[in-house]
Amino acid sequence: MTAGSPDQSRTGSAEPVPAVIFHNITKTYGAVTACGGIDLEIHRGRIHGILGENGAGKSTLMKMLIGLVLPDHGSIRIDGDVQQIQSPLTAASLGIGMVHQHFSLIDALTVWENVSLGEAGKIDPAGVRSRIGDIADHYGLLIDPYARVSDLAAGLRQRVEIIKCLRRDPNIVIFDEPTSVLTPEESHQLFVSLRQVVASENRAVVLVSHKLDEVLHATDDITIMRQGRVVDRLSASSTDAPTLARSMVGREVSLRSERAALGVLDTTAAGSQTSSKRTRGEAPVLRIRNASATGPGGVTLLDDLSLDVHAGQIVGIAGVEGNGQRELGDVLSSLLSLDHGSVHVGDTYVPSGKSGAMARAGVGVIPEDRHDSGLVLDMSVAENLILVDQSLVSRRGIIDATALHELAAAMIEEFDIHCSGPDAPMWSLSGGNQQRVVLARELSQEPTVLVAAQPTRGLDVGAIEYMGERLKAAAAAGVGVLLISSELEEILDLAERIVVMHSGSIVGEMPRHKADLERLGLLMGGIKV
Amino acid sequence: MTSAVVSPRVRSGEWFMLYALSIMAALVFSAALVEATGGDWHPVVNALLDGSLRRPGRWGETLGTAAPMLLVATGTIISSKAGLINIGQEGQLFVGAAFATYFGFLLGGPGPLNVILILVFGSIGGALWAGVAAGLKFWRNVPEVLSTLLLVTVAGQLVAYGLSKPWLLLAPLADRGNRNQVSVQLAEDNRLPRPEIFGNEIPLAVVLGIVLAIVVSFALSRTVWGFKLRMLGRNPRAAQRSGVAQTRYGASALMLSGAFAGLAGAAMLAGGGFAFGNYQLVPGFSTSIGWTGLLVALVAREKALVAIPVAFVFAGLRTGSSFVGATGVEGRITDVIQGFLVLALLVPPALMFLRDRRRARAAATERV
Repeated sequence: MTAGSPDQSRTGSAEPVPAVIFHNITKTYGAVTACGGIDLEIHRGRIHGILGENGAGKSTLMKMLIGLVLPDHGSIRIDGDVQQIQSPLTAASLGIGMVHQHFSLIDALTVWENVSLGEAGKIDPAGVRSRIGDIADHYGLLIDPYARVSDLAAGLRQRVEIIKCLRRDPNIVIFDEPTSVLTPEESHQLFVSLRQVVASENRAVVLVSHKLDEVLHATDDITIMRQGRVVDRLSASSTDAPTLARSMVGREVSLRSERAALGVLDTTAAGSQTSSKRTRGEAPVLRIRNASATGPGGVTLLDDLSLDVHAGQIVGIAGVEGNGQRELGDVLSSLLSLDHGSVHVGDTYVPSGKSGAMARAGVGVIPEDRHDSGLVLDMSVAENLILVDQSLVSRRGIIDATALHELAAAMIEEFDIHCSGPDAPMWSLSGGNQQRVVLARELSQEPTVLVAAQPTRGLDVGAIEYMGERLKAAAAAGVGVLLISSELEEILDLAERIVVMHSGSIVGEMPRHKADLERLGLLMGGIKV
Repeated sequence: MTSAVVSPRVRSGEWFMLYALSIMAALVFSAALVEATGGDWHPVVNALLDGSLRRPGRWGETLGTAAPMLLVATGTIISSKAGLINIGQEGQLFVGAAFATYFGFLLGGPGPLNVILILVFGSIGGALWAGVAAGLKFWRNVPEVLSTLLLVTVAGQLVAYGLSKPWLLLAPLADRGNRNQVSVQLAEDNRLPRPEIFGNEIPLAVVLGIVLAIVVSFALSRTVWGFKLRMLGRNPRAAQRSGVAQTRYGASALMLSGAFAGLAGAAMLAGGGFAFGNYQLVPGFSTSIGWTGLLVALVAREKALVAIPVAFVFAGLRTGSSFVGATGVEGRITDVIQGFLVLALLVPPALMFLRDRRRARAAATERV
């Protein structure tokens, strides 16, 4: 990181007033305490990391700073003065800006139009565009102001969000899980520009995250929250990932990103080598040949893609998001028809785009967006567990409610799904538990092939670990697992064979024990090596 | 991981209060309206009750009116469960009645058997008419909201044409006197029986409507078919992935919905009674039963069993309205009262829905 010594700004003059002081902040929702008596100081010229699992209360705390949620008790001081932050407008007038985890952009509008949203009075298009240009130059956030947001990849959309926030010239900037949709390269670039914002302009930056290495490497001060309370305050320079992890989850976890960071990638490579020996010579369980697909407007989605997955093998698809991974998942979910090419599961040809064909052929899918095709939110947990196959709980076309209830209860138990029971509506579950419902259903179909697309996105450390274990167990049981992920660490940790996707086709592959980060990076960037 | 699960608690007291308040408001508005148009609300209420229940034979009439409304509503519920908005029941009903008339005479079998044939062909007619909309949707991507609605007008013209041609529906000159555009009257033994109980004629269509509402309610909630239909309605992409083809299930749901409207038309034709004329097809035969059935489904909020009492309430307003005219108040005031009531019955669910959604959203953003 290109930081100047972060301590200078504090020791240079008399102890400066912290940009933000939370004092005894409490917020409860019914019986749930989202934040209980939080005390926290955020200083100018520093990046403050707030680390915690899902539901730790970090988002709620930040929403109070931005005026989306009002605290029940306690006070917030901005630059020394107690402030009642009633709305995002108040927050904006106090110089507080936030880059949200979920994008609030309007797809149909261009970049500059989106950036000028929320402006009062007459809009000055030329002014907005030149301001975007200034910000782009200043922070290295290059973007075409005339581009339509719907055409942009996730990384660029986030860039628009950041520009939207920086345009107001905020003194205090909050980033809520900013890298959850970014590639490693994009994340790195983001942190470089963050450091610049902090070091050269004496702004205060808050980084809310559940990624350990990110918090460890990009921040100065770290506050760890668990179940609505601050459990630890650490300095990034004097701590390490295992400490953070223990603090965050209150237990030891196997740190895959930590292992990746330390270069101990091959801890399980020996095991996987034997498994690839086992499968050598056998016919693949999933065979995709010359798959091509075009989207609306003639956009090429998949371009002559060929891929094999063998039984008992985890194949990882790496690549910058938006290079056809989603479409590959859609083809294997019968949601997209191929123009050319074929998909075989075992020896059977499976027609693409034919409702239910892939699922019947034995392709289980954990979709990239579980709300899109993985779950029916308005149905119960039990019903969601039998979306694909009702034969176990039905006779002569009539669903046996008791059998369904029992089956669901057993699966809820086996997969440790936290919910109020089989009849709980799907929407009432947290993201991690919704993902477990998908996982439980797909594994219970005893699939030949399991496609896991971004299976850990938005999940906390415990849930990520659980998903990893399940995928490994599935492979060990002879399932061919296709792991599509934009998190390289995830692929390096789980997959024994890594293929790289770019522009809708496979541009390179390597076994894990020969994984070379530089070559991976080049392939992901579209450079054939 | 937090396991703070929001369990959907049913606050029946809250529901009851909301409904009581909004129905009260609707009644107050209606009374005010009657007063404002120069009437007196008290006799109007009496007339409504006389016309729908109290006078001899009236509650049988109300039941008879409710039957086709209930059939239409049940069909509407099937298509809306599958996520399709069919609002063309008025036309499907009319076409169904025309089919029933045409084939009823063409085949002209022995009595009871022909009654069944009339009902079956009514259903087929309605299904085909809804099938036009289904075909437009699944082959040409035309929204079914538009096509079903516009086909109502086409249906009216089509049946009117049929009624002007002797080789189609128009009765021979001898049978129609100097009237134009009427079909032959159904023979005595081709009509639905109307057994008399306590001085009220109960058309068998009521029994049919109630039985079918119960069957559909069961089928939607407990069968694999209903499960798939609900999946399709709530998340078409999950349905596509799970083997519920939208073309097949969606089209069949829409056609089935039309079949129920057509069956309602056939039942009106063969059921007769004060409201539905003389066992013969005439222009304007559908008398807005299709529209009212749609309202019944709307108020029953996709619950076929709830549609049963709702249909009776709406039928009561309709049969009662014919007595209102005698009080000096325009009989059509009941249309306005009906409108108020529909609104009153829709406001509580809408409020609850908004609140639930707000909570669900809050819950979702809390722990994504």
